[in-house]
Amino acid sequence: MANTDTVLIVGAGPGGMEAARTVAELGKKVLLVEAQAEIGGTPYASYATLTPDLQETEAAMGHIVRGIRHNPSIDLRVNTRVVKSEGDIGAFHVTLENPDATQTVVEVGAVVIATGFQHFDPGRETQMYGYYEYDDVITLVDAEAMFKQGKIIRPSTGQAPDSVAFIQCVGSRDRQIGNKYCSKVCCGIASKQSIEIKRMLPNAKVFIFYIDMRMYGFWEDQIYWKAQEEYKVNYVRGIVTEVIRRGGKLLIKGEDTTMGRPVEVLMDLVILSVGMEPSKGTVQMSKIFSVPREEHGFLQTVGGPLDTVSTPVPGIFVAGAAAGPKDIEDTVSMGGAAAAKAVGALNRLALEV
Amino acid sequence: MPSDLYREVALEEKQRLFDEVKADARYQGYLYGCYECGICVAACPSARFYDFSPRKITQTLAREDVELFYEQLNDDVWNCSQCFSCNRCPRQNSPGGLITIMREVAVNNGLRSMKEALAGYTRIIYKIMTTGTQVSPDMLQEDAFPDWGPQVKTVSDNLDVWRRALPPETLHTTGLSWQVEEKTMHELYAIWKLTGTLDMISQVDEGLHDIMEEIMDDALEDSGLRVD
Repeated sequence: MANTDTVLIVGAGPGGMEAARTVAELGKKVLLVEAQAEIGGTPYASYATLTPDLQETEAAMGHIVRGIRHNPSIDLRVNTRVVKSEGDIGAFHVTLENPDATQTVVEVGAVVIATGFQHFDPGRETQMYGYYEYDDVITLVDAEAMFKQGKIIRPSTGQAPDSVAFIQCVGSRDRQIGNKYCSKVCCGIASKQSIEIKRMLPNAKVFIFYIDMRMYGFWEDQIYWKAQEEYKVNYVRGIVTEVIRRGGKLLIKGEDTTMGRPVEVLMDLVILSVGMEPSKGTVQMSKIFSVPREEHGFLQTVGGPLDTVSTPVPGIFVAGAAAGPKDIEDTVSMGGAAAAKAVGALNRLALEV
Repeated sequence: MPSDLYREVALEEKQRLFDEVKADARYQGYLYGCYECGICVAACPSARFYDFSPRKITQTLAREDVELFYEQLNDDVWNCSQCFSCNRCPRQNSPGGLITIMREVAVNNGLRSMKEALAGYTRIIYKIMTTGTQVSPDMLQEDAFPDWGPQVKTVSDNLDVWRRALPPETLHTTGLSWQVEEKTMHELYAIWKLTGTLDMISQVDEGLHDIMEEIMDDALEDSGLRVD
C-alpha cells in the first residue's frame, strides 16, 4: 500500500489549508484538491476583512495561501474535482477530474473533507425582502465586494447611503425555509460591517434588526459593544417582515419589540445577513464518500461535542463549515484536529502491517 | 423613529435639546450601550407603580432616537425617584444619571411639562432654601398623615416636649429638621449660586427665584463670602 502515507484533503479554504499544513508538519504527504482556480476558500475570495478583528483578509491569509502553494509536502491540484471514490481506510481509490474531463485515479489512506458552505440565496425565502427586485437590497457578501474597493454605495445611484439597515437571520432559524439552525457568524459579520460603514460614513444611521444577538465569547465586547458604544450602531430587536420601494428609498416594516411599537422607516440601503447552507461540494462529497448528512443537511460527525471531526466512515474526517455553520477560528481548529486524526489513522494502519 | 406625539415641536428643537443632554460632561460616563436585558426595570421601584422604564430611556439615548427622546423628556423623566437602583446595569450605564441630566435640561429650557410636574414642589424649594432643611417635625400632623396611626396625635400635641427629650441640642426644633447654623446657610447660598441651582429655579417659579436671590445676596453680602 504505497500511498497509505498520503492524506487527501478536499477543499482548500481555511479548514483544508490548516489540515494540509498540519498533515505536512506531522510528516505525511498531502494531496490537496480544490475545485476553484484559487485557493483560500470563501473568506479569502469574498471577504475584505475578517471577523472579529477586522484584519484585512489578504494580510491575514495571504501568507498561508502562499505557504500552501510552496510547501513541498503538499501536492496541490486546483481546478480539480473529486468525482468518485472506492475502497476503504488505508486504500481509498479516488477519481479526480479536470475541467477538460480528464480523469485520474489516486490512492490515499485517509480523507479530510473541507468543502465548506455556500451563502443562503435570499431569492429563496418566505420573507419579502426583494433581493432580486431592488438594487439597494444587497447581501453581506455584496457589501464585502464594495469594501474591497474601499466604499459602500447605493447601487441604484452610486451615492453613499444616509441610512443602512441590516436584517439578520436571512435564511437561518426559519422552519418555513427549512433551516432551523443559527448560522453563527452573521451577527458578528453584520456588526463588523456596521463598524466599517460608520468608519467610512460617520454621519450615516446604521440599524441592525435582529432576533437574538449571538455574540459569543470575545465577540461581545470586541464587535457588539464596540459597534454600539463607539460607533452608535442601532440594534433593534425585531425582524423586518417586508421591504417596499417608496419613492427612491426602501420602506422597511417590522416591530421594535423592546420598545413595544411597530416600525416603518425609510432606508437607503438594506443589507441581508444571509446564513450558511451546505455547499454543492459538501453535498457531492456526502454522496461520493458515503458520509451521511445530519438533520440540517451538513456532514455528520460522531461523538457530538467531544469529537467534531470524525465521520461515521472510518478514515474520513471533516473540517469546517461542511459539518455545520462555523466561524474561521472553529474551522481552523477543526482542520488541525482532522489532520491529526487522519495521520493517527494512517499510523495505526502502518503498525498493523 | 418618527413619533406621533409632539408633532407641533420642530425636529430641530428636539435635536437641540438632545444635543444639550449629550454635551453634558457626565453623559459619557453614564451611557455605554444597551442590550435590553431589563435589569434596571426589574430593580426600579417607580416601574412597579408607573408606566415607566429606565431601560427605554437608556435605549432611546443609545439609539439617538431624537423623537422618542423628546417624548420621554416630557412624559417620563419625572416618574423616576432618583434612587439609582438601576446603577446595577451590567453595561455600567446609569439610567438614573441620564435622567438627572434630562431633568436639568428640561428645567433649564423651561419645558411646560416640567413646570406642571414641579408645580407642587415650589413650597419645598422655598423651605429648603430658606431654612437649609426639607422635612420638619411640625409637618407631622394627624390630619396630614392619618395612615401613620393614632399615636401621631399624641406626639404632635406635645411636639416641643418630645423634641427637647432628644439628646442633641440641635434637634430641639419643631419648624426645622435640625438647627442650621448661619455659617452653614451662607455656605449653602454660595453653593446654590455658584452651581447654577438658583438660576434653575427661575424656570420653575420666577417669583420664588427673585425672592430667594434677594435673600441670598443680602445674606452673602453680610457674611463676607465672595461668590463672583
